[in-house]
Amino acid sequence: MSEKRNADSLGRREFLQLLMGTSAGLLLNPATAFWRTRGGKETGLKVLVLGFDGMDPILVKKLLEENKLPNFKRLAASGSFLPLRSSIPPQSPVAWANFITGTNPGGHAIFDFVHRDPKTYLPTFSASESLPSKHTLRLGNLTIPLTGGEIRNLRRGKAFWQILEDHNIPATVFKIPSNYPPVETKQRTFSGMGTPDLKGYYGLFNYYTNEYKTVTEEYGGGGRVHDVYLIGNQLEARIPGPNNPFKKGNPETYVDFKVFVDPVNPVAKIVYQDQEFILREKEWSGWKKIRFEFIPSQSVSGICLFYLKEVRPKFKLYVSPINVDPASPALPLSTPESYSQELARKFGPFFTKGLPADTAALENEILDEKEFLYQDELVYQESMAILEEELKNFRSGLLFYYFSNTDQRQHMFFRLLDPGHPAYDEKLAREFGQVIENTYQQMDKALQLALEKADRYTAIVVMSDHGFCPFRRGFNLNTWLLQNGYHRLLPGTRPEEVSLFLRTDWSRTKAYGVGLNALYLNLQGRESQGIVKPEEKEALLKELAYKLEQITDPLTGEKVILKAFISQEVYSGAYVSSAPDIILGFNRNYRISWNSPLGMFPRELIENNNQKWSGDHMAAPGLIPGILFSNLKVKAEHPALEDVTAGILSLFGLRIPPEITGKPIF
Amino acid sequence: MGKAKIKIEKELYQKIEKIAELAGYSSPEEFIIHLLEKEVAKFEGADSEEEIIKRLKGLGYIS
Repeated sequence: MSEKRNADSLGRREFLQLLMGTSAGLLLNPATAFWRTRGGKETGLKVLVLGFDGMDPILVKKLLEENKLPNFKRLAASGSFLPLRSSIPPQSPVAWANFITGTNPGGHAIFDFVHRDPKTYLPTFSASESLPSKHTLRLGNLTIPLTGGEIRNLRRGKAFWQILEDHNIPATVFKIPSNYPPVETKQRTFSGMGTPDLKGYYGLFNYYTNEYKTVTEEYGGGGRVHDVYLIGNQLEARIPGPNNPFKKGNPETYVDFKVFVDPVNPVAKIVYQDQEFILREKEWSGWKKIRFEFIPSQSVSGICLFYLKEVRPKFKLYVSPINVDPASPALPLSTPESYSQELARKFGPFFTKGLPADTAALENEILDEKEFLYQDELVYQESMAILEEELKNFRSGLLFYYFSNTDQRQHMFFRLLDPGHPAYDEKLAREFGQVIENTYQQMDKALQLALEKADRYTAIVVMSDHGFCPFRRGFNLNTWLLQNGYHRLLPGTRPEEVSLFLRTDWSRTKAYGVGLNALYLNLQGRESQGIVKPEEKEALLKELAYKLEQITDPLTGEKVILKAFISQEVYSGAYVSSAPDIILGFNRNYRISWNSPLGMFPRELIENNNQKWSGDHMAAPGLIPGILFSNLKVKAEHPALEDVTAGILSLFGLRIPPEITGKPIF
Repeated sequence: MGKAKIKIEKELYQKIEKIAELAGYSSPEEFIIHLLEKEVAKFEGADSEEEIIKRLKGLGYIS
């Protein structure tokens, strides 16, 4: 019997019998009933979950109707296809945390990509924090850390694979977002979105050129441009690495490299450390190792890609963000640590940065569309190779496997599906207008691989965390608060010159916006200079929510915010008090502006988004649900992310812990 | 918020006074606090204001 038939041949009744057997067996005696516990680690039932970030049900439906996703179609026909309710707000770290913990942001404390410190009002990254070593020894110019620093995962609540572990059910969880550093477990897990590059950034490329070029932001825009000078046919430059924790002032480390340009042909030789390789113009290097030395006995290893974009008339060399080397991880990438090394042994170096596609390089026109896609195709090929291996080894328990390409390519190419987008380009649309469709078809290939490897005892779940919509116009929340008297600046301040609220008069400010969907009150007893009395809070929130929902865009006549959610009304759990006070659910085509999230006050209230980053998912969750496919019938009419978690636990016959708010879907 | 005093040599203080004036600070105290805050931030690891912005921008959602 073919493997394909195996995947399809599990009838509903048979499967239910299997599940009932599982459930009853567990209740009676997990060691002797249906669960076979060879080494305490073998289950009869297997659950395979594929996570395609940002896959949109409207686009999927269209492609299903056009018969372009045959494996999705087959899966839907054997079980279910439904929209999957996303989180409030539908941002990936929040949404995947809902799935991981089976609850809502009030229960897992991830409310946005960006949180704020109520003492300083400054933005902080929501998912993890780095704490430097507390104890150091100063020796001349050296500062020797006596104890290690710490990186903390800020997500709360128990991950579903930890619950499975409690019941001795094995799990492999590959690159699920919102799990950096990976939480403590004996399961095999590999961190995903939220994993930084070796410098601790979420991606910092380097670009070496003798052409005048500036990146939109000097740093932080995702890259650094280095002016280089060809003297004779040779140039020298350096690749910046992590800051040196051993030296006073933590200076940046670097690796010097040399480039020898062929005097006739468009070819160059790159030399550094023990590496020496030749690239033709328009050629990528493949992964190269690079080592940054702190002191003679201490160094860290990274991996990067070189791309020789042009030799003449101008020299242009791109170096990707330095990813943490999975063979010798300087940051915590996996549990157990050996899992990362095991994958590196089998596959060599691979992308470890959480969001691997270099969207900043495309945005800043360091890479063009074709070059960006080439690099993201490497991400896809690596993902497929590792998926194949994991499927081969998948004999028991649960396998979760994640793909980032859907999300990253939709962010960058949505403009080419949307002639109404300010950054729509007809010529580019002709060439790249199919990218999103092609990407969805690539996910269909991944599903095919899974269906072929799945046996009749495998429950298959295919899901995304949210859908997508165009990002045509950006809303400046802080400008609105300022214009409406809820935010005050110090006298003499030019609002458009402010960032990080550095000129805010907190003694007269009632509200402020930080992050991508979040509004906070300047609350007495919570914010360091809070003025809103607790008894005034409820009325002020209702007033703000009402007014925000009335805002219309003078250009289009459309509402900007479809729903302003008051967090205490929509969240439950132990961390509701840490939540932003209002979560903005934008209308289709709208999003927070580029500058408002960092405490800025641009002049225009609503502005065009002219950037290549043109699709997004900060809308009201009802507008952009994710997808849910399964070879089982889904009982729930309107399932949510957290319901899938409960469903998975129930498939294994486990009692749903009280902190999980989701309801089983099967 | 409480305040603490520290002692510095008079000669150094006079230099600070001059530089603070030249640099446009309203007082030597403001200048000293500014310098100290900058130095302290370096030792507070990766989460200084500038670092936060750099890190967050790499996500792609903020420019």
